[in-house]
Amino acid sequence: MSAALIRLRRNPALAIGSVLALCIAVVALFPGLFAPRSPVAIDMGRALQPPSAAFWFGTDHVGRDIFSRVVHGARVTLGIVGGSLALSALIGGLSGMVAGYLRGLTDLVSGQFIAVILSFPPIFLGVMITGILGSNVANLVLALAVVYLPLFFRAARSAAMVECARPYVEAAQVLGLGDGRVVFRHLLPNVVPAILTQYIILFPLALQIQAALGFLGLGVQPPTPDWGASLQESKDYVLFASWTAIFPGLALIVSSLAVILIGRGLQSRD
Amino acid sequence: MARFLLWRSAAALVTMLLASIVVFAMVRAVPGDIVETMMGQMGSSEGEAALRRFFGLDQPVHVQYLDWLGRVVTGDFGTSWRQGSPVATLVLNAFAVSFQLAFLVLVLSSLVGVPLGLVAGYRAGGALDTAIQAFNVLFLATPVFWLALMLLFGASTFLHWSPPTIYMGPLRALGQNLVILLLPMLSLAFLQIAAYAQFVRQHVIEAMRQDYVRALRARGVPSAAILRRHVLRNILVPLITFMGLIFIQILGGVVVIESLFGLPGLGRLLVNALYARDFPVVQGALVMVLISAILINLLVDVAYRAIDPRLRT
Amino acid sequence: MKDNLTIDRRRLLQGAAAVPLLSLFGVPLMATGARADDAMLYGAGDPAAKRGGTLTVGSLIEPPSFDIYHQAGEAVNFVAPLMYQTLVYADHDGNPHPLLAESWEVSDDVTVYTFRLREGVTFHTGQPLEAADVKYSLDYMRDPENGTIGALDFADVAGVEAVDPRTVRVTLSKPNSAFLITLTHRNASVIPRDWFAGEGARAALNRQSVGTGPFKLAEFVQNSYMRLERNPDYWQPELPYLDEIVVNFIPNSAGMLVAVRNGRVDMAVLVRPQDAEQLEGVGNLTVQRSRSLNQKSLDLDSTYGPLSDERVRKAIALLVDKEAVMQAAISGYGQVLGTMVPGMQERWGVPLDELATQKVDVEQAKALLAEAGHPDGIDLELRTIIGYDWMEPAALALVQQLAQGGVRAQIQRLDLGTWLQNFRARQMGFTLNDWGTPPDPNILYYRHFHQRPEGADFRNWDNAEASRLLDAGRQAKAFEERKAIYAEFQKLLSESAPTVMMFGADHIVVVSDAVKNHAMHPIGWHFGLVKTWLDR
Repeated sequence: MSAALIRLRRNPALAIGSVLALCIAVVALFPGLFAPRSPVAIDMGRALQPPSAAFWFGTDHVGRDIFSRVVHGARVTLGIVGGSLALSALIGGLSGMVAGYLRGLTDLVSGQFIAVILSFPPIFLGVMITGILGSNVANLVLALAVVYLPLFFRAARSAAMVECARPYVEAAQVLGLGDGRVVFRHLLPNVVPAILTQYIILFPLALQIQAALGFLGLGVQPPTPDWGASLQESKDYVLFASWTAIFPGLALIVSSLAVILIGRGLQSRD
Repeated sequence: MARFLLWRSAAALVTMLLASIVVFAMVRAVPGDIVETMMGQMGSSEGEAALRRFFGLDQPVHVQYLDWLGRVVTGDFGTSWRQGSPVATLVLNAFAVSFQLAFLVLVLSSLVGVPLGLVAGYRAGGALDTAIQAFNVLFLATPVFWLALMLLFGASTFLHWSPPTIYMGPLRALGQNLVILLLPMLSLAFLQIAAYAQFVRQHVIEAMRQDYVRALRARGVPSAAILRRHVLRNILVPLITFMGLIFIQILGGVVVIESLFGLPGLGRLLVNALYARDFPVVQGALVMVLISAILINLLVDVAYRAIDPRLRT
Repeated sequence: MKDNLTIDRRRLLQGAAAVPLLSLFGVPLMATGARADDAMLYGAGDPAAKRGGTLTVGSLIEPPSFDIYHQAGEAVNFVAPLMYQTLVYADHDGNPHPLLAESWEVSDDVTVYTFRLREGVTFHTGQPLEAADVKYSLDYMRDPENGTIGALDFADVAGVEAVDPRTVRVTLSKPNSAFLITLTHRNASVIPRDWFAGEGARAALNRQSVGTGPFKLAEFVQNSYMRLERNPDYWQPELPYLDEIVVNFIPNSAGMLVAVRNGRVDMAVLVRPQDAEQLEGVGNLTVQRSRSLNQKSLDLDSTYGPLSDERVRKAIALLVDKEAVMQAAISGYGQVLGTMVPGMQERWGVPLDELATQKVDVEQAKALLAEAGHPDGIDLELRTIIGYDWMEPAALALVQQLAQGGVRAQIQRLDLGTWLQNFRARQMGFTLNDWGTPPDPNILYYRHFHQRPEGADFRNWDNAEASRLLDAGRQAKAFEERKAIYAEFQKLLSESAPTVMMFGADHIVVVSDAVKNHAMHPIGWHFGLVKTWLDR
């Protein structure tokens, strides 16, 4: 414990990032504790009010409390990004590991498949998938998972290949241990860190894409208080009620910042 | 080199072909077709059938695909179903807008970002480095479209200024063209400046750790000379790879902010065509994106080989 | 001739006071015949008008193409009348006036319409207008094999005959007293004969216009702008006042508002009326507000789950607070509706207090739901269309209102293509809808609410009584008789609730001080620009 604390002290990026992430996580897990009002209840009588003591972040075009929407949005937005990346890591990581272990035809075919996905710039792929399947949470998660699949695949594949070159894997194969055992006993523990690193690196990027899709109107269904979707709704009011756009944007920035700082902190550890 | 080029191009072609199937399949998976949006609420069923025949939508999907592919291979992307104009013209015009903006951003961000990264890396740990790093982290975390919104808001509120509403190409009116692109360029540039600075900083720090650089410094060679002659040369190769990646990323960013600034670029073309179910245009736009992404990757690989003697065989 | 002079003079003498009178006499006049009354075309003229100048208009929506015969959409409707003309023009009150026709005769059984064409009219292609062109245009449009959008509007046309170069006779298979108004829609635009027989004729319409209108298409750049030029050979020599109109397509409200505010455009049509609030107090700008022929409605498909029960539909209608939805959707810049669009309410509408389900009654709604076997309420998916800005806040307000009576609605946003597919397949579900009409109740109701196959019955209402009334209203000749029939229909509509017409958004046009004599037509198409001029 104390060693960890000392490390944090030596590494301000990691420290700031961790504290921020912890705060955001608490807000995302228990939004009810922080949000004074409903994130969805509308009240036209108080539409587009500037920030005040009663409404810290002001109100939006249908009179919802922006502070409450931002607080509740943490769970929605970060949940979608975290969940889709986890899905992507699981599928991409596993298939990458298997491809890196088996090589041969499996590797060639899956590699080609991955190359096809990679040849689409992420935002185009996201637009196409959500645009075609319809915009809702499930399709948004799917879109983000597909977009980042190749990167997890590649990370897992190269980690697996490095491990495969080690003598003990060869030994295990010679000893006649089944492929499954080799993969899960020996490769997995070594591939997981590579996947986790990738996860942290990709999180802020995925957050940007998620928000961009929401901003293009391809995100979650209203009245879900997603940050990107809030920005989409507020873009028509930004000139005369800038608070409607400023605060959801700041929430995005702070969340990205937290993860970027953690990533940097971990990198500069060595 | 020739063998590498050949092999690499063949792989790119296979990817292209597979991707074209994916594109076509995705586009045909869109619910509804152009006949719906053309006829609106008041269409008749005979009329619908007639229009479907007119567009060839009554054919089986694989026939439509092969037909399309056959023509694309000969450079014929067909005509827009809505407007009858050639898809190639529409897509190239839109691509030119996006490409110009992305290119300007690339130039601007490398002109600012690379020196920032050099300074930060050379004086790693100093006050200037800390400031530059803070800048990097902040703008890496800021969504491009949000920055765009804020710039639009700021310019209109504080400067009482907004960009002209009609886009003009650089060949038609360069001055107005640059004025129109000013805000979009700024919105996109900050993120990329940060990305460049961070990337270059990292590599400078690594290069400075190399034994021969240490030896040079010990011998009293001026640091500017070391930076220019040795460090810069060393990071040139990774920088080119990075530029390729960043260019594709910028294109993505352009697409998100185009409609905010009313630019007639690729993203707006794609989204509007997708909504109208103008399939030839959607397909054409996507293929254009694919070609450029795959070409850029190919170019990067080739440039990489050409510059780095270690990779030559 | 004499008849017309009287009307002309009455108009001139009495000015605005003549309007309600005309509303009454307009229809009998229409049934017997009419002659040209050019001063009334495209709104009132302005003796002080200066000619020349380029008007820059900002538009949030963009026409997908200018193929007026095959491409539906409001964005096409907006600008098509500037380039293309029809036989008949409907004025702001819904009275028909001869446009390309000079006069007409209508048979007593309202089945034969004979038009005398104007002399000296030429198409943008240089050809003179003749009866054969009118015959070709109407025949092309009414043949569904051509994939035209208005074919169903002309399904009852039995034949079009070019009697002589200046006379066209249209024979209907069923009496239709609204046919003149049907002819005011751009679907009935007249183009040179055999136009579509030419190679690439459809695509060519995006490069050139081939109508007879006061403006010609000069340039159309997709996702950017379109430019119209004065037609130097236009048959009303004093018109148009402007030399040029440039329409900028600005894809979002924020961009539009900064453009208006900073003088980048002279005129902007605000699709979201509430944006006008954001321009209050900005100098050099005037906000024009006028009634429309448009309605924002909540549609209930009678085959969608519990909505098949009339009591459930009625319960939903009783839960809708139209005023509050309008407030949420467009900040109140509109008119609450009963069963008639705002621009026709005075002439055709039943007063709201004589209609059922116009006042919120949560208790009665709950009782109706319980009676229909849903004491615990029902779950529905409420559809909205992406790109229709008013729908999202309206849906949010509706969800709250409906919840009070136990109707749990989940918002589902669809893009227009998917939505239209559902709509035309008569699977519209429970959805918000946005539509307008030329000013006649037959055109407003028949397609939407008559049983199939004569109507399209998009909501699967399948109501025989309603169909009977709609047939009667179409055949009746006298205005009073028609009005009584349509009043009965409207009462039925409010009782059975296949749709809840909520409100009509007003037209909000922001113009700079240089823009003179602009009046928006209730239908929202840019007729008014023909007589708009610039004072710079």
